Amino acid sequence: MNSAHYILNATGLARAFNRIPLFTGLDITVKTGESFCVTGPNGSGKSTLLKILAGLLSPSAGSVTYTADAVIPRDEWPAHIGYTGPMVNPYDELTARENIEFACRRESDPGRGHALLDHFGLSRHGDKKLKHYSSGMKQRLKIIIALVNDAPVLILDEPGTNLDDGGNDLLAAALDEVRKQKIILIATNDAREEQLCGGGVRLG
Amino acid sequence: MSIKTIALKSVYILMPATILLAFLWAPPAAILGDSSRIMYFHVPLAWVSILAFIVSGILSVAYLADKKGRFHGLVETSYNSAVIGFVFTILTVITGSIWAKISWGVFWNWDPRETSIVIVLIIYIAYFSLQGALAGNENRGRIGSSYLVIAMITLPFFAFLVPRIYPSLHPDPIINKDRTVHLDAAMLTTLLVAILSFSLLYAYILFLMKRITTLKKRIGDYHAAD
Amino acid sequence: MTPARSSSAAGVYGLGSDIIRNLRKDFRVEFRSRFALNIAVSFAAIVTIAMSLTAGGAPFPAAVQSILLWTVIFFSAMNGLSHIFVREEDQATALFLRVSVTTDSIFISKSIFNQVFMMILLIVITPLFVFFLQVNVIHIAFFILSVAAGGIAIAAATTILAAMVAKAGGKGSLFTIISFPVLLPILWVSINSTTGALRQTAPSYDNPVFLLAFSGFISVISFLLFRSVWLED
Repeated sequence: MNSAHYILNATGLARAFNRIPLFTGLDITVKTGESFCVTGPNGSGKSTLLKILAGLLSPSAGSVTYTADAVIPRDEWPAHIGYTGPMVNPYDELTARENIEFACRRESDPGRGHALLDHFGLSRHGDKKLKHYSSGMKQRLKIIIALVNDAPVLILDEPGTNLDDGGNDLLAAALDEVRKQKIILIATNDAREEQLCGGGVRLG
Repeated sequence: MSIKTIALKSVYILMPATILLAFLWAPPAAILGDSSRIMYFHVPLAWVSILAFIVSGILSVAYLADKKGRFHGLVETSYNSAVIGFVFTILTVITGSIWAKISWGVFWNWDPRETSIVIVLIIYIAYFSLQGALAGNENRGRIGSSYLVIAMITLPFFAFLVPRIYPSLHPDPIINKDRTVHLDAAMLTTLLVAILSFSLLYAYILFLMKRITTLKKRIGDYHAAD
Repeated sequence: MTPARSSSAAGVYGLGSDIIRNLRKDFRVEFRSRFALNIAVSFAAIVTIAMSLTAGGAPFPAAVQSILLWTVIFFSAMNGLSHIFVREEDQATALFLRVSVTTDSIFISKSIFNQVFMMILLIVITPLFVFFLQVNVIHIAFFILSVAAGGIAIAAATTILAAMVAKAGGKGSLFTIISFPVLLPILWVSINSTTGALRQTAPSYDNPVFLLAFSGFISVISFLLFRSVWLED
């Protein structure tokens, strides 16, 4: 599924909470090979926008489409999107490997999980339950979860949270490796992460 | 004035008329005597309880089916109807208990129809508990409506069960199997007028609650615009 | 890519694999902590022993015995059946669950889990109850059928209610309150059915059949409503 060329097209996006508008009239177009960055102060709706683009929330107005060979129906989006964010919490009672096993879809390569654990320096801790993990280690696992299915669209909400310098370098390296074959959407307030992206939008 | 307003406002005439007919015009029943007059309130109350419940359920189904949100206010009206139905159900139970005490000697004896009304009452209580716990949840309408649908589809199963388990002391349905009417003309007229005016009362309260809901929304929008 | 047919076949396999992945995860998580099961089983044991103790060794009439049995089963089940959904909201794992498996597979796997949970509960409670309250079971096969059918119906009817309670914050006894009206016909018929198994006369199979039909019916409706309950919009 990696070879196809994807286009994300969002027009006139708006979202309100309890009828208080968060943002209105956003138009976004991103193609495979491009990275897109959402910035803005706390509470400006970065996470909400990414959730809408990931199909986890409905916009109050406007529409989002993903097109590969044909337009992808909304029901099938999860199979094409790797998503992680502050609210995506893996299971504390499970080990990292078991969490990855759960996140790994039928059609995906099970070996990829091992490779990613290695890359993010967690292979030594792979059989530890998550309740014994530090928050930085959990964040690394969350990024692995988004990457494990090798989805053509990557949506990362504040991927650098709790990461040390080493972790940030590993994240940048992992993204650079796949940048050419994917659409990457990142929400961040970190200038370093912002530079990883080509275009972007500023909310608030 | 539109026809709708005239119909709703006619409650102001019909309700006093019902009271006069029930107490002064209709003759007392043969064995029960004057206590039978409570029928002109108990039966319409029970009727509205069921009507409100059904309206609530139908609106819930419509709301869940209306994925594109073409109709406004379905879920609010469904909730309002349930509120009215709840109050009417309690009144039905109270008037029924009084009547039962007078004619059967006890306030409560788990007669099938008493059982059914209690089940409806429990469903309402459960529904409002759930709605209360969901306060502030954006999905409140959909979850509440789904619950009403689940609760309602279990009701027909009671209908099969209840009469098989307990014999009924309740008077025969007004029109029974051989399609004969057991009430004399004056009593029947009074009862029908009472049912009509209570139904209109229900519609009128529902209409008022809808206006309140609309106003609340507008005030909310006004504050949101600040 | 060949259209319709291959994609729908992939859909079915995808659903199957999602269900298996989710079940494996749920069994690991639940049976590592065993929180829900421990609470439900301990509750049942305590109530059964308390009733036996206060009865002072004299056996109750058949009807009373089956009413007590289903009261114990009802409240024990209420202690455990909502946990499978409430846990996902409590531990904030619901979003991870949502991005990892399809919504339909969530409902199906959690229903299967609750059925298994209920069966384990019944396997523990029923012998305990029969032993402590000196229940004299005359039609043993019919007794087992009645208890199993009642258990299946309880688990089937409450799975979607557990999802609602989870969304409402899993507050205290809300699950019991909203389950009660839906479970009333089930308890009613289950009590009649088990009473039949404790009496000499040949029992009627209408009751277990009713329970199983009800389970199927309410499962289908729940499946159709699940998206409305579980997905945020």
